[in-house]
Amino acid sequence: MRGITDISHRKGFPYQGNVYLPHMAVIKKVVDETDDTKSFHFSFKDEKLQREFTFEPGQFAEYSVFGIGESPFCISSSPTERDHLECTVRRVGRVTNALHRLGVGAEIGFRGPYGNSFPLDFLRGKSLVFVAGGIGLVALRSLIRYVMDNRNEYKKIDIIYGARRPSDLCFRYDLDTWEKSETVDIITTVDKGDSDWKGREGFVPQVLEQVAPSTENAVAVVCGPPVMIRLTFPVLEKLGFTPERIITTLEKRMKCGIGKCGRCNIGNLYVCRDGPVFTYEQIRNFISKEF
Amino acid sequence: MKDRSVEQKLRGEAGELLVAGKVDYIVGFERGSLKFTTTPLITKDGNDINRLVINPFITSNLAKFLMELKGRVGIVAKGCDSRSIVSLIQDNKVIRENLVILGVPCSGIISLHKLEKLAARDSEEIRDITREDDRVIVNIGGEDRELPAAEVLFDSCLACEFPTPKEYDILLGEPRAATISQNAWKNVKKLEALPPEERWYFWEKEFSRCTRCYACRNSCPICFCQQCFVEETEPQWIASVPRWQENFIFQIIRNIHLAGRCTDCGACERACPANIPLRSLTRKMYDIVDDLYQFKAGTDKGLAPLMAHYENTDPGDFIR
Amino acid sequence: MTDKKISKNDIAELLADWNREFTVFTPKLESDNVSKMVEWDGKDTDFLKWYRNTLVPCKTLFLPSMEEMFRFEKRAEGHYHLELPSVEKQKRLIFGIRPCDAKALTILDMTFEDTYQDPYYLSKRTNTILIGIGCTNPYDSCFCTALDGNPSNPTDVDLFFTDIGDEFVIETTTEAGNTLMSKSKHLQEVNQTDETRTREAREASRKKIIRRLDTEHLRGKLSTIFENKDYWEGIAAKCISCGICTLFCPTCHCFDISDEMLKGKGRRLRSLDSCSFPQYTKMPTENPRGEKWRRVRNRVCHKYVFYPINFGVIACTGCGRCIRLCPVNWDINQVLNDLPDRV
Repeated sequence: MRGITDISHRKGFPYQGNVYLPHMAVIKKVVDETDDTKSFHFSFKDEKLQREFTFEPGQFAEYSVFGIGESPFCISSSPTERDHLECTVRRVGRVTNALHRLGVGAEIGFRGPYGNSFPLDFLRGKSLVFVAGGIGLVALRSLIRYVMDNRNEYKKIDIIYGARRPSDLCFRYDLDTWEKSETVDIITTVDKGDSDWKGREGFVPQVLEQVAPSTENAVAVVCGPPVMIRLTFPVLEKLGFTPERIITTLEKRMKCGIGKCGRCNIGNLYVCRDGPVFTYEQIRNFISKEF
Repeated sequence: MKDRSVEQKLRGEAGELLVAGKVDYIVGFERGSLKFTTTPLITKDGNDINRLVINPFITSNLAKFLMELKGRVGIVAKGCDSRSIVSLIQDNKVIRENLVILGVPCSGIISLHKLEKLAARDSEEIRDITREDDRVIVNIGGEDRELPAAEVLFDSCLACEFPTPKEYDILLGEPRAATISQNAWKNVKKLEALPPEERWYFWEKEFSRCTRCYACRNSCPICFCQQCFVEETEPQWIASVPRWQENFIFQIIRNIHLAGRCTDCGACERACPANIPLRSLTRKMYDIVDDLYQFKAGTDKGLAPLMAHYENTDPGDFIR
Repeated sequence: MTDKKISKNDIAELLADWNREFTVFTPKLESDNVSKMVEWDGKDTDFLKWYRNTLVPCKTLFLPSMEEMFRFEKRAEGHYHLELPSVEKQKRLIFGIRPCDAKALTILDMTFEDTYQDPYYLSKRTNTILIGIGCTNPYDSCFCTALDGNPSNPTDVDLFFTDIGDEFVIETTTEAGNTLMSKSKHLQEVNQTDETRTREAREASRKKIIRRLDTEHLRGKLSTIFENKDYWEGIAAKCISCGICTLFCPTCHCFDISDEMLKGKGRRLRSLDSCSFPQYTKMPTENPRGEKWRRVRNRVCHKYVFYPINFGVIACTGCGRCIRLCPVNWDINQVLNDLPDRV
C-alpha cells in the first residue's frame, strides 16, 4: 500500500557503503561567471570512480567544504563529458562563501548523484524550448549540452535566456557557441541593458511571448527564480504547451539529499527524492503551493 | 471562589470591547485540555469570550503574542505580564494606544509538579485544587488536604514585587500587596555558595539535558528578534548542535541580551521540558541590574530602556 | 514459545545476567521529573514501580540528539582525510520500552530503510533487543488506542512483560526474544490464573485511555481544509514555534547536518532539528514556510496525511508527549477532533 515511488535503480555510488560519506574530488579549474557566481570543474581523486561515474542531466549532488558544511547544487556539466564534472555556485551564505574561497587543487566532498532527471526518453525525437532566467540556466545547462552532444536525436532547439543585467549572464562561452551554431536558435535578453549591450531588453516571460516558439511536437523546459517560473507557466500555456509538456526543476533547502531529513518536502513529495525535476502537470496537483 | 467573580467581570469587559469595536483581538486564557492547565485564547469572535478563565494555572506570559498580532489588542495581564508589556513599550515594539490592558491582580500561580510531589499524587487522582489565602486546598477522592501555598507556587511568584499590574486600563479584582518569600532565591543562593568549579559541574549536569528546543526563548515576550543570534551563520556564534557548553552559552548570551528588560516572570523556566533551573540565571541578572543601576525592568513606561541610554552617574570603575 | 513469568524481586538478577552479554538500558528519573532511558547502573530497580512512559522518547537511543557521522583531518592545505566512527560492537538491550515507543520505531524504520539505507540508525536498530513493558496507568494525555495501539500491545518488541502485581508475565514475539528467554534464569511456568490476570490487567489498562480520535475520515478532512489559510491561522495562533513537540515526539525524524572543525581536525554531526523552527526551510531568496500557520499545517499534515500516503501508516502513536510538554497546551488530538466535516 506504499505510495512512495520506487527509486531503487538510483542506489549507485555510496562511498564505503555509507550514503552520507562523500567522495573526495579535486578542483581542476575555477571559472568566474558573474561577480557572485563561479563554476568549479572537478574530478574524483579515485580515477576508477571518475571513469565509471555516471549521472543523468537534472540530477544534483551534495558538495562538502569540510569543516564548513554541505550544500546541494546541480551538476551543471553533461554526462557526455567523461573527464570531469562541473557545478556552478552563487555566493549567498556560509558554505558557498567558503567554496568561493577555494582554488585549484583544493579538495571538496561529493555525494551523489541524487534526485530524478529530465525524462530523456520522453524528450527524444521532440523539439525543445529552453526558457531560463538568471542562474536558472545552471539547472538546464547539463541537459542543453547533453542534447547538443546528441543533436540528431532532437528536432528544433530554441533557447530563451535572460538575466537582470548583462553582467549577470552566465556561461557566456556557451552562449557564444550556441549563438554561432546553426543547429540551435538562441535569444538572450536582459531586464535592463548597459551602454555596451546591443541585444534585446525585456523580461523573459514577455520575450517568450513575443518570440512565440512553435509548440509542434515540442516540450518546454523552464528554470529560473520562483517568480519568473510562475509568470512563465501561463505564457507557455497560452502559446499552446500542455502541462505535461512543460518541465521545470525546483530548488529547496536540503541537507541529506536522500529523503530522510524531512526538510525539502512539498506535501508528501521530497524535492530531493521525487524531484527536483517536475512537470507542470505534477506541480498543479501538488497538495501545497509552498515551493 | 474569588476567581469566579473576576472571571465574570473579565468576560463582560472583554465582550464589550469586541462588540464596541474597541479592539480587534482579545488575548486571554481558557481551560486547557489537561486537568489543571490553561491555554492561551486568541480570538476575534465574541462567541469565544465565555471561554475566558482566571484561575491559579494561568502560566503563559501572554505579552508574547503582542509581537505577532496586527491591530488593537485587549490583553489579559497578570502583574508580571503587565511588566513585560511595559518593557515592550519601552523598547518601542508595542504602541500603548493599541492596547487595552485587562489587569488581573495575581496571588501566584500553582506549580502542578510541585503540588503533585508534595501531595504524593498524580494530577489524575486529584479532583480539585483551590486557593484560599496562604493555603492551597487539594481534594483527593472527596477528602480535602491543606498545603501551604508558599510551597506549591512557582518560584517566580515567590519573588513577585508587583502582583497588581502597574500598567492597566481596567483592573479586575482587588489590588494585592507583594508577599515576597526568600525561598525564591533558593537556587541562586545555592549557586552563589558554590566555588566556581562546582558551579561548572552543576551547569554541565543541567545543560546536558537541554535539547535546544528554544521554548525558553520563544515563550519570552522580550525575545522578539526577527533573527536570533543562534540563527546567524556568517559568522556562526554557536553551533546548532545541543552540546552542553553551547546550550549554556546560549542561555548566558540570552540573559545578557535581556538585561534591563527581563522582569523575571519565569515563563522560560516554566516552559523548559527538561527542568533546567533557568531562573537562577534570570533572577541573578535581574538583581545585578537592580544593584548596579537601581533599575527594575518593566515598571515605568516613560523610562528609556536601560541598555539604550546612559547617565553620567552610571558606574564606570570597570573602564580602565 | 510458551509464556513464562518472573517475580519482580528477580528482575535485578535477570538484568545482571543480561548485562554480561548486552549493554542494558533502563528507565531512570533525572532531575525530579525528566525520565529517560540510561545505561543501567547495575542495581537500580525503581523503574519497576513506574506505570507509564518516560518523558524522553526511546527514539533518542536510535536517533540521538547529536551524533557523529564521520571525522575529517586536514592533512595539508586543501587536503582532507576521512574516517568513519568505529561501530559499536556491544549489543544493546532496552528494558522497559512502552508499546507506543516501540511502534514508533517501526514507523521510523520505513523512512530510514527507504532506498538509501541509513547506516547510523539501522546499525543501532539491528544491534538492539527490545524488552517491552505494558503501561498499567496511562497518562490522561495518552491516545495510543486511537492509532491501532494499545498500552499492553506485545508487538514490535522481542519480549513483552505484562505487570500482574508482584510478577511479570513474559511473552516472546521474535526469534531473538525466544533465544534470550531460553538462556534466562528465574523464569517460572505460567498457570491458568496468571493468564486470567494478564488478560484482566491488559483490559484494565486499555480502559484507562480516556481520549478518543476518529482517524477514519482524517485524511479527507485534512485534505479538504488544506488551503484554508484563516482556519490554520486560527489553529496556529497560540503556537510559539519552539521545538518541544518535535524533539520529544517518538516518530519525528527531521535532522540537520553540520560540520565543525578546530585546528585542522573536525567532524560532521547529525543533530535533531524541528520543522517548527522558522528557519527550517529558509533559502537565500525566500522561505516557503516562513509563516507560522504553514509550519503548523505542515506538521499536522506530515503526520496524518503525507506519511500515510507514502508509507501507509500514520506517523503518530498517540504517546501524548506533545500535549503534556507543550508550553501553551496546543493539543493535536483536540485539533484533529475539531476538524470541520465540510469546508
